[in-house]
Amino acid sequence: MPTEAYPTLTAAADGFAAGEVTAAALTEACLAAIAARDPAINAVIRLDADAARARALALDAARKRGEALGPLAGVPMLHKDMYYREGQVSTCGSSIRRDFVPAVTATVLQRLDAAGAIDCGTLNMAEFAQNGTGHNAHFGDCKNPWDTAYCTGGSSSGSGAAVAAGLAYAALGSDTGGSIRLPATMCGVTGLKPTQTRVPRTGVMPLSFSCDNVGPLVRTARDAARFLRVIAGPDGLDATCARQPVPDYEAALTGDLRGRTIAVIETWFLEDADAPVVAAFDAALAVLAARGATITRIACPLMRAINANTAVLSRVESAAIHANWMRERPGDYATHLSARIFAGFGIPGVTYDQALSMRGPLLRDFVAEALTGAELVATPTLRTRVPTRAETDADADVANWPRMMAVSANTRPFNYLGLPTVSVPCGFDDRGLPVGLQLAGRPFAEARVLAAADAFQRDTDWHLRRPKAA
Amino acid sequence: MDEAFVTRRTAEIAEWHGVAPPNPLALVAVADLAAVLAECAAVRERMVFEDEPSTFDAALAATRDPG
Repeated sequence: MPTEAYPTLTAAADGFAAGEVTAAALTEACLAAIAARDPAINAVIRLDADAARARALALDAARKRGEALGPLAGVPMLHKDMYYREGQVSTCGSSIRRDFVPAVTATVLQRLDAAGAIDCGTLNMAEFAQNGTGHNAHFGDCKNPWDTAYCTGGSSSGSGAAVAAGLAYAALGSDTGGSIRLPATMCGVTGLKPTQTRVPRTGVMPLSFSCDNVGPLVRTARDAARFLRVIAGPDGLDATCARQPVPDYEAALTGDLRGRTIAVIETWFLEDADAPVVAAFDAALAVLAARGATITRIACPLMRAINANTAVLSRVESAAIHANWMRERPGDYATHLSARIFAGFGIPGVTYDQALSMRGPLLRDFVAEALTGAELVATPTLRTRVPTRAETDADADVANWPRMMAVSANTRPFNYLGLPTVSVPCGFDDRGLPVGLQLAGRPFAEARVLAAADAFQRDTDWHLRRPKAA
Repeated sequence: MDEAFVTRRTAEIAEWHGVAPPNPLALVAVADLAAVLAECAAVRERMVFEDEPSTFDAALAATRDPG
């Protein structure tokens, strides 16, 4: 958190709206935190300090004039370096796009601008958003603020680390197989992957058009609720975006879980889980139960089919997107990334189409099996303890490849299913690294998912704990 | 690693896409596809003829949260 007095996005926004704190003060606090802490964690790719200061002063002046400002007015943010802003470099964490200057501004950045947010710059990420650990061969690994030997999670590595270290109040991430929720769990912050189609992807670097999602990494579920309301809803440009009305997500945060049922899926998600993770997860379930929720445990035989198809979609779609560069300049990718993309070319077209075709039926079956007797499902976000960067570095040693690929085991099924899913901190493992609780609901159940996460955070303070680096 | 599987896939990738293995790790990643394809084969029986509206978007709408 950049300041003790305003530890969260909503506290900072409300403080600014009430005239208690200036945008300039909030921005200077973030810039000071970046100067002090980023050298150790390597989260920031480009810092736009002058532009941020100018924007903050303009917002302060507008407030003095009594102008109506948006719900995120005065709040400094940093964003994953794959959200395009016209005329500014967007590296996508890559060497190939090190000098790429887009001609458009992402819809979500336009909406954050209109809501009064202050964009301070861009954040480190996995190259082309394609690993779950946060390794980056071109800009250097982003490092976990809790212990720099450990992974931040990826692909939104800088987003998780920056919010955890208090460099900014919020950061956009993207999530195709867990890329918001993995850095959220490994860095100890809150991350929301909305329903597939909930947020427009105009001006966002693609990885897999079937599974890509835009969402925030923030401190609390309430922060996520306010942020999502700003960025959700159709923009008239992304034809895949749902026309479903955007509700007031904050209004749903009552803290009351009486009458709610949360199902723990024991198939797949808890298999071979590390003991410290299971202990923190079970303790989190007890907190939810104390808030009035009924906890049930179910098997889900569908997981085999879901996992088989999940493994297909993003690999093939990524291979198609990167085909020309893979022919012309494969040496410009990190070793693990070109290897991963290469394998995608080996999946037959009909297999890919079957994976797409089975997505709807499997979603219907999953809802019938897991989300009819319960409103939410709960799992650990990561079933193992946070791994070290060394033991998951596949570029350094091919023996690390399975560990690098395994981190998204509990997150990627929800991308295939398209379900809204949040990860909230729920404890620490025996090495002092964070553990995350993952909650998912039916399509467009963001309000219900965030309500449960908020209820949990009313009775815990894991989300407010700060690493030594912060 | 099933070298025959990897050799066959790598040749098909070159033929269909004009892409060569960029490094030795790429061959390991291709070898991993054997397990992926085995899992797909194991769940093939779920693939049935589906009438419209058959899209994923339709399923999202049909199963959405009742509020």
